[in-house]
Amino acid sequence: MNNEMINLDDLGLSEEELFSKFDHDSLEAEKITAPRYSYWQSVFRVFFRRKTNIVILVLFVLIMLFTYVYPSVVPYDAYENLMTEGAKHLNPLKAINKFGFSLKYILGTGSTGNSTFQAVWYGARISVSLAFICAAINMTIGVILGAVWGFSKKFDAFMTEVYNVIGNVPYVLLISVLVLIFSPTFWTMVFALTVTGWIGIAYFIRTQVIIIRDREYNLASKCLGTGTFKIAMKNILPFMTSVIVTQLATELPSYISYEVFLAYIGMGLSDMSLGRLIYSAESAMVTAGWEFEFWSPVALSAFITIVLYVVGQNLGDASDPRTHM
Amino acid sequence: MVKYLLKRLLHGLISVVIVVAIVMILIYSLMDRNLIFAKDSVYSKKNNNDQTVYKYQQWETYGYLDYVPFSDYMKSLANAGELATDDMTDEEVRSSVVSNFNSTGDLNELTQTYVDQFTSYYESQGYKVTSLSPIVMTTLSGQTKVMDGGSRQLFASKDKSLVSRLITYFTSIISVDNINYADEVSGERGLTFTLYDPVYGGDKLSPAIMGNGTKYKYLVYFTSDFPYIHQNLVKIQLGVSYSVNQGIDVWDTMTQSQGSYVSSTVTWPTGKTESTSYDLHSATYSSGSLASAVETENTLITERYTDDYTNLSSIKGSMSKMGYSFVIGFISVVLAYLFGVPLGIIMARYKDGIVDKIGSLYIIFIIAVPSLAYIFLFKGIGRSMGLPTTFVMDSTSKLMYVLPVVSLALPSIASLMKWLRRYMIDQMNSDYVKFARSGGLTEGEIFSKHIFKNAAIPIIHGIPGSVLGCLVGAIITERVYVVPGAGNLLTTAINAYDNGVIVGVTLFYAMLSVISLILGDILMAMVDPRISFTDSGR
Repeated sequence: MNNEMINLDDLGLSEEELFSKFDHDSLEAEKITAPRYSYWQSVFRVFFRRKTNIVILVLFVLIMLFTYVYPSVVPYDAYENLMTEGAKHLNPLKAINKFGFSLKYILGTGSTGNSTFQAVWYGARISVSLAFICAAINMTIGVILGAVWGFSKKFDAFMTEVYNVIGNVPYVLLISVLVLIFSPTFWTMVFALTVTGWIGIAYFIRTQVIIIRDREYNLASKCLGTGTFKIAMKNILPFMTSVIVTQLATELPSYISYEVFLAYIGMGLSDMSLGRLIYSAESAMVTAGWEFEFWSPVALSAFITIVLYVVGQNLGDASDPRTHM
Repeated sequence: MVKYLLKRLLHGLISVVIVVAIVMILIYSLMDRNLIFAKDSVYSKKNNNDQTVYKYQQWETYGYLDYVPFSDYMKSLANAGELATDDMTDEEVRSSVVSNFNSTGDLNELTQTYVDQFTSYYESQGYKVTSLSPIVMTTLSGQTKVMDGGSRQLFASKDKSLVSRLITYFTSIISVDNINYADEVSGERGLTFTLYDPVYGGDKLSPAIMGNGTKYKYLVYFTSDFPYIHQNLVKIQLGVSYSVNQGIDVWDTMTQSQGSYVSSTVTWPTGKTESTSYDLHSATYSSGSLASAVETENTLITERYTDDYTNLSSIKGSMSKMGYSFVIGFISVVLAYLFGVPLGIIMARYKDGIVDKIGSLYIIFIIAVPSLAYIFLFKGIGRSMGLPTTFVMDSTSKLMYVLPVVSLALPSIASLMKWLRRYMIDQMNSDYVKFARSGGLTEGEIFSKHIFKNAAIPIIHGIPGSVLGCLVGAIITERVYVVPGAGNLLTTAINAYDNGVIVGVTLFYAMLSVISLILGDILMAMVDPRISFTDSGR
């Protein structure tokens, strides 16, 4: 021990500066000194911390503008140049030479002299809407049923058998039979993709619920008398948010992929969706000078799905509370 | 273990039956059965009553219902000998009734009796009896004339019920040939064993079991082709095709060789030696074919055959649909494990390293981009590299396999990388890894001896599935590269409303998935000693 203790008088401070009376305030005592934590605020803070996410988000907004706003502002007529001579199957350069520079002809023209650029965005509107609606329906049913499936042991045994059976029915067969029964309209496709589509999601959620269900904090919560519903809503659902968002990120692009796939094998929509455009322009792929008609919808569908996937994945990462440090 | 597996197999079989039932409900009950006539040119050419009859006949061939026309009923009565009267034979009664029935005028008393008998008999059996009266028109000269296709029709029909359809379907899947198959045979029914197969001239040592009275003439025989011993005794029948490959069973459609004919020198039963592409081992019974050939002096048959086994198929030079799918699929599966597993390990071992970053980008690309888009991308790249982009069956070039194999392998590599990386990273934080590290093991040892062994178990579980899955074929890849594989069978069948093929292919898919799950379990239990399916082992 050293004897270099400081004499307070040497510091030349007044008594008031050294000690001041502080009243006890019971309200103040309840406050925690840590900064206030808001879940969703933190999610967006973490999300925007990465600069690439902002770029991706801008791309996402652009895609949404072109899929939903552009077709409603600029009317599309597939047959407007039908009678114009030499307007069909033009590559971008020739189309711009012929019609003058405009956004409309930036990707050339198609088989009826239609603008490929407009055609792909019209197609994208159908495909993206299909993906959003199917994802919304499947995710809602899948998450709710998956949670019940994970909690109830009786339901589990039954649903596992159902899952095994439905998993063996070829998806292509189911969809095409449904499309044949009803005509191939947009809502038929929604029905076909959702009638069994939810079961995969429900199974995934069920596995996640089972993993978390028997964790110690949930057992403790149960011992303290918390009801199952409250445990599900307060203890498990927050844990699942990132899992659900990540799942949504893989689901959304998969419906676009499915639509493209079904259209390619000839079982798709009758509307000119992205898949239908690819299907009908398949022959253009091998014709010199016509390639743009084929590659434009292919590239756009790839671009949309990648952006949707990356936004979803990064939002999923950000919604995991463990990244909120 | 055995008990557990039997239980699993039983569960699997039950779910297969349910799947087939669901598919049958979907295609036979829910789908509008008039759809099959949408592309039928024969249907649109038929008129009036003929069109209705044609519809019912087609529905019978497609398996929707049982259909019995009045003339068939009369024929069966004649064969049973129930028509003969004191002064007329069975055949005379039958022909007089049928000709009166087909005339435009009113029915006579005799015909009316049998019409009433037909109606009451089939109505009591639960059939719906449909009677269509002749449609006549008056010509300008005042005569009455039956309109085109407007002749009188009478038939009974009954929809097949799901249960009876299921029972008949499942009982006819496996058929064992027997010596009482043929109606009439020349010589004695029975099996003969020979050491010298007559097809090879009778000198070459080649054992064969031949049957007389059976459906197939050769039941067991040897050839020089893999797997050397062949049999026709037990046949799998998944369902007969009506439009995709008319009259041929789905199983045969998938397994028969394709391509151009291959000739070889064979000795016909008469002793005539000839170079032909016919496969004498495939001879099946065709009732009365030799007798009718003798009658019509058809030397093509009389010079070659000595019995009624005259129905032959040809030997073709290329693989079957399933063969092509399997070869392409299998090579790509091997490639996928060869590349995917090491890459996945490296990604996990050097997390956030350069391989991990590039690999993750690649995984995102494969997951997010529609499969159609990247297959076309690969095709485009392949074309610019000078690789053949279409599959030609008779070509000897092995280069045409490259693009389909690569297009199948690249996505599977991505998914293997993704899951192996995920499993290994999950294992990296477990206690046994920390313990191994504290014990002084190097990172390399920890990864190869501990983490990989644990992480590989779920991957190993999927191996039988991916190998057996090759038999099914890949829809898009085969379509894009024009591979003559099995992948397109289901979609073609759906487009052609070929119900027999749809059900058969579904059963095949379902069986494969059940078997691969069980095989995966067995393989997993063999690799991981902790997994045991017996209760006493715990």
